[in-house]
Amino acid sequence: MTGADLAILALDVAGYVLILTLVALGLAIIFGLLRVISMAHGEFLMLGAYLVLVVEGAGGSFWLGLALAGPAVALVGLLVEAVVIRRVYRRLLDTILATWGVSLVIRQAVTLVFGPASHSIDLPVDAAVAFPGFEYPVYRLFIMALSLALVGATAWLFFATRFGLAARAVIADRDMAACLGYDTRAFDRATFAYGSALAGVAGAAMAPLISVDPQMGVGFLVPAFLSVLVGGLGSIAGPLAGAGTLGAIDGLVARALSPVWAQVAVLAIAVVLIRLFPKGLLGRRGRSP
Amino acid sequence: MTGHGVEARIGAVLAVAAIGLPFILDDGATANLSVWFAFALFAASLAFAWGHCGLLSLGHAVFFGAGAYAMSLTTLGLLPGLPGVASTWLGLALACLVPALIGLAIGAFLFSSDHLQGPFFGIATLAIGVVAARLCESWDYLGGANGLMGVPPIMLGPNGGGPMVFDTLPVYYVMLAMLAAGLVALARVMASPFGRALSAVRQNELRARGLGYDPAWLKTRAYATSAAVAGVAGAMFVVQFGFASPSLVGFALSAEVLIWVAVGGRDSPLAAALAAIAVRLAEDWLSRALGDVWPLVLGLIFIACVMALPRGLFGEAFARLERRHDRTLAPGRDDHRHPGR
Repeated sequence: MTGADLAILALDVAGYVLILTLVALGLAIIFGLLRVISMAHGEFLMLGAYLVLVVEGAGGSFWLGLALAGPAVALVGLLVEAVVIRRVYRRLLDTILATWGVSLVIRQAVTLVFGPASHSIDLPVDAAVAFPGFEYPVYRLFIMALSLALVGATAWLFFATRFGLAARAVIADRDMAACLGYDTRAFDRATFAYGSALAGVAGAAMAPLISVDPQMGVGFLVPAFLSVLVGGLGSIAGPLAGAGTLGAIDGLVARALSPVWAQVAVLAIAVVLIRLFPKGLLGRRGRSP
Repeated sequence: MTGHGVEARIGAVLAVAAIGLPFILDDGATANLSVWFAFALFAASLAFAWGHCGLLSLGHAVFFGAGAYAMSLTTLGLLPGLPGVASTWLGLALACLVPALIGLAIGAFLFSSDHLQGPFFGIATLAIGVVAARLCESWDYLGGANGLMGVPPIMLGPNGGGPMVFDTLPVYYVMLAMLAAGLVALARVMASPFGRALSAVRQNELRARGLGYDPAWLKTRAYATSAAVAGVAGAMFVVQFGFASPSLVGFALSAEVLIWVAVGGRDSPLAAALAAIAVRLAEDWLSRALGDVWPLVLGLIFIACVMALPRGLFGEAFARLERRHDRTLAPGRDDHRHPGR
């Protein structure tokens, strides 16, 4: 393997890690703040990808689709929250089942409308950036920048704004926050919609790089969940650390052996890491999850 | 877990009805029902793990598929180091043993950590299921993505050969007998001291530990038991279907069995088994009328059951029958046996 190959592999892995972080961050926000395990997260990602397909089909540009993916999936998230999630708060196991049902319904609805076959979306930009010794597609670099920006924006939202302060107050003590006049229901709605929208944006951004089909969500859901568990909750850096670890293992093993063994390795190492660091690599000690 | 009196009676009535059914139904419907009996036992195995032991397994098809592959490899004579061995009996034993060992290994690893409990166990099993399906697709020994074709039906001879169970009626009664035996076995396990300890662990793990039980080991054994039953169900399926493929391990079947159990009733293997048959039956009737909308409708029914009817349709019906039964037995003694869960 030459230096150029190595650099390309490193960039590929970094791109995957950042997208995975984006997906895992949405899960971590929904789980950490609402105590809801959203099995429909992969389907929100899929909806983002299909939105790009619809917008392009209607004559819009890819970029319009990418811009609309977040708000559109947030709306679906609001709907799901209002109809289903609202009724299962505080029943953790039931949140898994209810959102699992939601994921089945979304998947089937998409299959009905778009058919079970996979679609491909053209790369919006073909250009490549020339590095010393190799070239790298501009679009992949753009995705990395977009993911970084969104992760940063999320950190800013939760740690530097009044909304974030209120959010942390609601996590710390929901009843007290309600007494102080915060609308905790509105907070629930906004959190679920925001977390889902992150998945939608990730799906739209990834759409030109992977095949878009109704089953695509599961492929992201599992590594995203493992990333959250490995990285630990309670900080933005947790999902990043988890996704970084697992994404790197996935990329390296896929290159060295095969994608299948990469999945096996990711699962095995994730389970071992969760056993060794029950609160996550970056989890805080002494606080029950 | 109460209600075995009423439930046992319902089961007996259903069994008698099932014995008579082939005389009313045509050949095709009877053959369909025999295949559904395999799914029914699969659903019962998940109801045992989930409802009775509190182990929400989102990748239960791993065990169904492992049983199907174990049976197929044996009867196709593909066992490593054992050329010429093609016994259905050995296949059945392995279809029980291999999934049980996989379940034992998964349980031993996951349950010994305090962190991988409840919902996290579900996520871990989901991940295992997805990865296992990928492994099967790329494992040449298991036929890769094509799977294993031409799996023989049940041969009663000690090593293949002998009388073959192939015609519709014999297959139907063999499958019915195996389903009944599986359900009775699960009911007996649930009523045994082991089963009661499991119920105690589900309700309050800390207290069970305080009383001297080892929750991790109990749950591990329970998961292995459920896996063994699911494996037998997989074997029942594959000797009829003649074809083992990675889809028997995959995510879709795990999702389906979860729906059957949630809709039927997670507290009762019998209710879950009934639901598996009922959902398949409804699918048969309604998919002509509803077409591709049917899975959508099924998903909505599933969500409704999760939100409003945690005991499931049949589970709720059983509970009501039992309540009525209790009232006729002892007037004035009201329903205090079902504290909310």
